Amino acid sequence: MPSRKHVHAMLHTGAHYTSLILFALFTTFPFIWALSSGLSGDASHMYLFPDGFWPHEATLDWFARVFREMPFTTYLKNSTILAFFTIAGVVAVSVLAGYPLARMKFPGRGLVFVAIIATMMLPSEVGIVPNFITLKHFGDAAAALQGTLGLGPDWNLREWIGLNSYFGAIVPNVAGAFGIFLMKQAFEQIPQDLIDAARVDGANEMQILWKVMVPVTGPSIAALAIFTLVSAWNDYLWPSLVMNSKEKMPLAVGVFNDLTGPFATSDNILMAAIVLTVIPVLVFFAFTQRYFISGMDGAVK
Amino acid sequence: MASVSLRNIRKNYTRDVTVIRDVSLDIDDGEFIVFVGPSGCGKSTMLRMIAGLEDITGGELYIGETLANDIHASKRGIAMVFQSYALYPHMSCAENMGFALKLAGTPKAEIDSRVQRAAEILEITHLLERKPKALSGGQRQRVAIGRAIVRNPKVFLFDEPLSNLDAALRLNMRVELSKLHQELQTTMIYVTHDQVEAMTLADRIVVFHAGLIQQVGSPLDLYENPSNLFVAGFLGSPKMNLLAGVMLECGDGLASLSLQQGMIVSARCNASHLRVHDKVTMGIRPEHIRLVSADTAGALAAQVDLIEHLGDVVLAYIEIPGIHEVLCMKLPGSAPALAYGDRIHIAFPPEHVLLFDHEGNALPRLPA
Ligand SMILES: Nc1ncnc2c1ncn2[C@@H]1O[C@H](COP(=O)(O)OP(=O)(O)O)[C@@H](O)[C@H]1O
Ligand SMILES: [Mg+2]
Repeated sequence: MPSRKHVHAMLHTGAHYTSLILFALFTTFPFIWALSSGLSGDASHMYLFPDGFWPHEATLDWFARVFREMPFTTYLKNSTILAFFTIAGVVAVSVLAGYPLARMKFPGRGLVFVAIIATMMLPSEVGIVPNFITLKHFGDAAAALQGTLGLGPDWNLREWIGLNSYFGAIVPNVAGAFGIFLMKQAFEQIPQDLIDAARVDGANEMQILWKVMVPVTGPSIAALAIFTLVSAWNDYLWPSLVMNSKEKMPLAVGVFNDLTGPFATSDNILMAAIVLTVIPVLVFFAFTQRYFISGMDGAVK
Repeated sequence: MASVSLRNIRKNYTRDVTVIRDVSLDIDDGEFIVFVGPSGCGKSTMLRMIAGLEDITGGELYIGETLANDIHASKRGIAMVFQSYALYPHMSCAENMGFALKLAGTPKAEIDSRVQRAAEILEITHLLERKPKALSGGQRQRVAIGRAIVRNPKVFLFDEPLSNLDAALRLNMRVELSKLHQELQTTMIYVTHDQVEAMTLADRIVVFHAGLIQQVGSPLDLYENPSNLFVAGFLGSPKMNLLAGVMLECGDGLASLSLQQGMIVSARCNASHLRVHDKVTMGIRPEHIRLVSADTAGALAAQVDLIEHLGDVVLAYIEIPGIHEVLCMKLPGSAPALAYGDRIHIAFPPEHVLLFDHEGNALPRLPA
C-alpha cells in the first residue's frame, strides 16, 4: 500500500499537470478551432460545440484555395520585410538607448528615462494621426525632390518614404519605450567587474558595447526580438492605413481585406489563411527558443 | 615590466568623502607588493586608480617613467585579476584569454601560441574549449590569471583574487602565485585583507588604514618592528597582546613601566623623549610570553582561562588578577599540560616588549 506521503506527492503532481493542461487548452483553443475548420471539408460543424474542435471530412482544399484566391506569397514577403526591419530597428534603438541610460553618467539621465517611460502611459493610437500626416509630408517632400532633381516618374520617390512605403510602415514602430526599458534593465544586471575587465583588456567604449555587453545580454535581445516579431507580424491597424496597394500589404491586412466582408467565399478559407499566417512565427520560435535560456552563468563568482 | 610610483595620491568620491588621503610609494620593477588593511580602507580604490578604472583626484601616478594619470585604462599595459573573476560568459576560456590580444590586432597564430603557453603554465590546457560556466571556482580563477599572463603586462594587479575560494584551494593558489612571480619576475601589486596572504606572498607589505599608509616593509620587519599600534594589532595571528601602563623609568637604556596594580615590566626601548607618568601601551606577541617559576625575578601571577590545542602549538588564554584583559600565549605542543583554572607565573622578556606612546607610535627598540 502506498504511503500517505506518496499519495500526497502524486496528488500534487496531478494538480500541477491538470492546471497546466487546462491553461494550455485555454490559450490554444482559438488556434485549434481555426486549424480544424481549415481542415474540414464539411463546413456545417464549424460553429457547433464541441464538434467544431476536430476536422470533418479532412481535406487540404481550403489551404490550396488560399494560394489561389489571394496573393499569399506577396503578403508573406511583405510581412517578412516589415517584421525583419522592425526587429532590426527596435533592437538597434533599444541597445543604443538602453546602454547609456544604464551605464553612463550624464546630467538629465533620470529625466530622459522618465520621459521615455511616460510614453508608455499613452495608448499607441494617439500617434496615428500625427504619424500619418508626417508621412504624407515626407512623401510630398520626396516628390518635390524628385521634381527638382529631374528624375523620371518611374522613380516614384513618394513611395520610398511617404504613404504606401515600407519605411512608413516600419519607422513609427521602431522607437518603443518597452524595448529601451528592457535593455536598460539587462545592461544594469551586468556586473561592473566585467566592464572593467574589458576596459583593462584594451577595449574602448564601443568595443565594450558590441563585444561584451551585447553578447552577454543576448537572451534579453532574443526576447525583445520575439516580442517585436509577434507584434509586427500581427500589427493590423497601422499598416492597413499606410499601405494602400495590394503589392505592399502584409498578411494581417491582406487576409482581412481579401477574405472577410460581404464578398467573402467562406469562413473555412479564412481559417486556413489564419493558420498559414501563424505558422511562420511558430517555426521561428521553435528554432530560436534555446537562445533565451543561456545567460550570465559563469561570468562572476 | 615597469616600476610604479605614487606621489601624494588622493581620492575623493564626493567632495567631502576622502577615501585615499595622501599616499606616496615607490614600487620597484619586478617586486611583489601587497596592500593589506581592513575592509573599506581604500585598497581596491588605490588599485583601481593604478588600473585607470577610477580618476585620480590629486597627485601623480607614474608607470615606468611615464606620467599615467590621464592614460586610459586600455593603454596602460597592465593586467588585472578581479575577486569575482569577471570572465566573459559568452566566450570559451581560450577566447577569454586571447581577448586582449585580439583587440590589439595580434595575428591569430600568435594568440593561439601565447594562450597555449599560458595554459600550460597554469595547467588548464584541457579547459581551453569550455565556457566559464562549466568550470569550478578554482578553475575560473586560473583562467582569469591566464587572461592576465597572456598579455605580458608591465604590471599585474590582483584584487583579493583568492577570497572566493575555499581554504584548501586558497593555500594552493597562494603557492602557485608565488611560483608564478618567481617565473615571470613581473611587478605584481596584490590587494588582500588577509594578513596571512600578505605575510606569505609579499616582498614588501604596505599596510593601509583609513586611506593612509601606516607602514611599508618586508613581512618580517613589519612583524617584528611595527611602527604603530594599528600595524602591531593587524599583523600576526593570534594578535599581539596589548596592555595599558604608565612610564616609571625613561632613560635611553632599559625602560620600565608599571601596569595596573603596580606590576612592573621592563622593555628594551629608547623612551628618552617620554617623561615619567606618561601613558603608554606595551605589546608582546603570544609566542614571546614565558612560563616561569614563581621565584623568578619579574614573574607575574596569572590564571588559565582557556586552552586550545592546535597540535603543533598550544594557545593558552590567561588572565592576570586585577587586569581585565585576556592575554594569549603560544606554547610549544610539548609544553607541560595546562588546564582551566591553573595558577601559573609568566614573564615578559624585555627584548620582546614593545612600547607605544599615547599617540600609538612605537618607541625605537634598542639592539640587544
Ligand atoms: N564608487 C564609489 N562611490 C563612493 N564611495 C565609494 C565607491 N567605491 C568605494 N567607496 C568607498 O570607499 C571606501 C574604500 O573602498 P574600497 O577601496 O573598496 O575598500 P577596500 O577595497 O579596502 O575594502 C569605502 O568606504 C567605500 O564605501
Ligand atoms: Mg576591496
